Amino acid sequence: MKKYILTTALSLLWITLSFASESAFEEAMIKQLKSKNMIQTAEVAQDVINGFMRIAEANEGEWLPLYYAALTQTETAFRFDVNKDQYFDQALEITKQAAQISPTNSEITALHGYILMGKISLDPGSRGQSLSPQVMELFGKAIAQDRSNPRAVNLMSQMELGMSKFFGSGPEKACGMARMSLELYQKEEEKISEKYILPTWGKDQMMELMKNCN
Amino acid sequence: MKWPFADLIQIRIEMKAKFILLIYFFLFQTLAFGQTIISGFVLDEKGIALPGVNVFIKGGYDGATSKIDGSYRFETELEGYQILVFQFMGFKSNQLSIECKAELLEIETIILTEEITEMNSVTISAGAMEASDEGKSVILRPLDIVTTPSAMGDIMGAFQTLPGTSTVGNDGRLFVRGGDASEVGIYIDGMRVGNAYGTTAGNVPTRTRFNPNLFKGTFFSTGGYSAEYGQALSSALALNTKDLSIRSQGDLSIMTVGGGYSHTLANEKHSITASANYFNLGPYQGLIKQEIDFEAAPNAWDVELAAQKKTGKNGLLKVMARTESGGMSLWQLLPGTDRKVLVDLKNDYSYAQANWRTILKNEWTIFTGISYSKNLDLIGYDSLQIERSNELIHIKGTAIKDFSDRLSAKFGVEHFIHPYSEKLVREGWVRDFDDRETYLFTEWDFYLNKDLVFRGGLRGGASKVSEEKWLDPRFSVAYQLKEKGQLSFAAGSFHQLPVDNFRVLNTDLQNSESNHLILNYLFSKDGFTFRAETFYKSYDNLVTFEGLPDNPELLKNGGSGYAKGIDFFFRDRQTFRNTDYWVTYSFVDSKRSFNQFQTEVQPSFAPKHNLSVVVKHFIVPFKSQLGASFAYNDGYSYTNPNVDNSEMNAKTKSFQNLSLSWSYLPKPNLIIHLACTNVLGRDNVFGFTFSPKANTEGIFESIPQGQVAPRFLFLGIFLTLSKDKTANNLNNL
Repeated sequence: MKKYILTTALSLLWITLSFASESAFEEAMIKQLKSKNMIQTAEVAQDVINGFMRIAEANEGEWLPLYYAALTQTETAFRFDVNKDQYFDQALEITKQAAQISPTNSEITALHGYILMGKISLDPGSRGQSLSPQVMELFGKAIAQDRSNPRAVNLMSQMELGMSKFFGSGPEKACGMARMSLELYQKEEEKISEKYILPTWGKDQMMELMKNCN
Repeated sequence: MKWPFADLIQIRIEMKAKFILLIYFFLFQTLAFGQTIISGFVLDEKGIALPGVNVFIKGGYDGATSKIDGSYRFETELEGYQILVFQFMGFKSNQLSIECKAELLEIETIILTEEITEMNSVTISAGAMEASDEGKSVILRPLDIVTTPSAMGDIMGAFQTLPGTSTVGNDGRLFVRGGDASEVGIYIDGMRVGNAYGTTAGNVPTRTRFNPNLFKGTFFSTGGYSAEYGQALSSALALNTKDLSIRSQGDLSIMTVGGGYSHTLANEKHSITASANYFNLGPYQGLIKQEIDFEAAPNAWDVELAAQKKTGKNGLLKVMARTESGGMSLWQLLPGTDRKVLVDLKNDYSYAQANWRTILKNEWTIFTGISYSKNLDLIGYDSLQIERSNELIHIKGTAIKDFSDRLSAKFGVEHFIHPYSEKLVREGWVRDFDDRETYLFTEWDFYLNKDLVFRGGLRGGASKVSEEKWLDPRFSVAYQLKEKGQLSFAAGSFHQLPVDNFRVLNTDLQNSESNHLILNYLFSKDGFTFRAETFYKSYDNLVTFEGLPDNPELLKNGGSGYAKGIDFFFRDRQTFRNTDYWVTYSFVDSKRSFNQFQTEVQPSFAPKHNLSVVVKHFIVPFKSQLGASFAYNDGYSYTNPNVDNSEMNAKTKSFQNLSLSWSYLPKPNLIIHLACTNVLGRDNVFGFTFSPKANTEGIFESIPQGQVAPRFLFLGIFLTLSKDKTANNLNNL
């Protein structure tokens, strides 16, 4: 009898542990995402990036931790006084690793374009010429890869707004795309639960852009 | 959609988990207390605390980020032998084997070394100027080449605003630091280009045959350049063609001097661009009076094909082919007479090249290429008919090995096949030579740390016709002074065979030689660039001859000379909003005995004081860029037989040219560009042609060598057509 209980216990232990490792990944991601939302300094940001990189290291087939590491790296470069070029370059490097795991991923493609947007912002006069078409192409590709990805459409509308400002043409096109992305964000929100770890960011930026629209 | 039983199952799993944990707790009680605490410090090479380092156990979640004092501390439940990893952006990762034994584990202090990359390390800037979108020592950007007003869209025109160059307005080619135009070696993707400039006659300045839109970046060296290049005493100009095009589009251009269309087809793996252009200055010259008496205005057509293809993961194959044909004819006055002679010129030119670059495993990069250029000139001078043919085949292979981030080596082999001939058509007289040249080179870069780099190179060559072998050692070093300033030094020896029309007269002519010494200071920070460079170079075995350049005799390697000087460059894109300007001053003191000159003289192409200012301002509400450029030098030396018997005893008045341009972008896909050179209409003179005999009053009559016209006015409309509405001509501007 004792033996039977022990066997059951051990087999249950094994089952539970394999469950545990699945949820351990999710739990770790949820925990990291919470810390990501609390970032106030570049130092904390580095800690969060490191956290995502550790999760990536322990889960080799997962693209999400790499995606978030690159995203955090990018946001850090936008927000804080760091060596921005180096942060963007590193983010690009990590994005490439993520793309190797998940090659036709709309979110990764959109993030790639977003990082290049950051690179352009550092020296628009000289980088805009060669990088802008690349960025537009990446956002176009991201939309084609997943038509329900609000970030791809949102980022494309950001580029459109920049272009319309430069050429003095109205923001109509950018606004149309922004409205489209708003719908997609709303659809996405229906899916979001406490355990949702896929990307959800970008709505605030989009709402900011909408201020240019009537 | 949520599965209705999901919550229930979750609860059951959690309950089971609790039950199991209970057993687990009792069975393996010791383990619950079996946490190992890992702590230690991370420093950089200089012993300064390194915050932000990711310290973790390989394959697990446990880890921490080092704090401001470089310390880290974390707990792990893992046991036994584990690998502790130290990872930080810009630094080499480090690993350490540890044993977790459920206790406090103090790790020895770890020192991370910074990774040396192109972006964070010092670069050799002696003699070197880079035009690209990225890179640290960038002086010009590709866009600057087309938007410099005096350049009129010619690559060489833009480089004439850079330090170390002088403007020779009736020539148009690039003259570097007291050297003549043949001393600049021109390369496309590492492959030598024969006859890169269009053939011209009289005093009509020439242009580069290649459109600036072909290139993504340019590396221009005014001395002390890499062992990869040779056969150029003064300078190497390396043009790099664009990689894969991003999208399919058509580009239409309509100009006062002609028009063209170019079409690109692209996908992710390949792209191909085909273009055709036609130029004829006839209608323009019909409207605006010219100083030169043209019988037929300069005209030309060209067809070009460029294709790129990705091969494998890291390979890129590029192919380019171009053919063109052009000509002009004009009346040239003979000094001291009323006579004019007709100079008639026809030129056919073809260039083709293919190159392939790929990165192999274990840090090898391989490049192979082949190029072919053929130039055929038909020159009619009065009743004389001359046919000149020049061919150049260049085959090249290089291999680069990165041993580490501190040491890399380049090895290369090159072979040239070079037939040249001149023919008097009516008489049927031919003289020619057919050279074979072979080169071997190697170059080693060694970074002692990221602030100090040494480069050593060696280039050996052999020529069949001159029956000569030679060796050129080159050396340079760069040192980062403070955050943004750096010092570089370069020295080297350079060989160049004489120009073809001399070699064909005496095939025994040997290489001319030059030695360079260059000291450079470069400072760049947030939109400011300041560059100062001083140099000395010696010349030996220059070609000298008896008689005049149009009929040289008894050619030999009998000349020598020197050039020394200093130049300054300042660029500011920061201080004034939407404004970018640069100022260049070059001082060159050069003397040499060469060509017909028996004594050491200042060559006509080496003015002493050279100044150039370029200003560009973008007016956002008008969607316009205004540009102005001003060039000055203190005059060209020439020999005036009316003064005395000495050579180069006179100097022209100073050269001045103010050019203005206006680019208007009314729509994303449309650019209208208007430009005018020499707005002030200064009557620039580049020298004088003297009659060979004195007139009855004992005076040698002369004709000034002036400009084709006081001003050159250009209007162009550039339209981009693409399915992708976001496409715009900014990519080509």
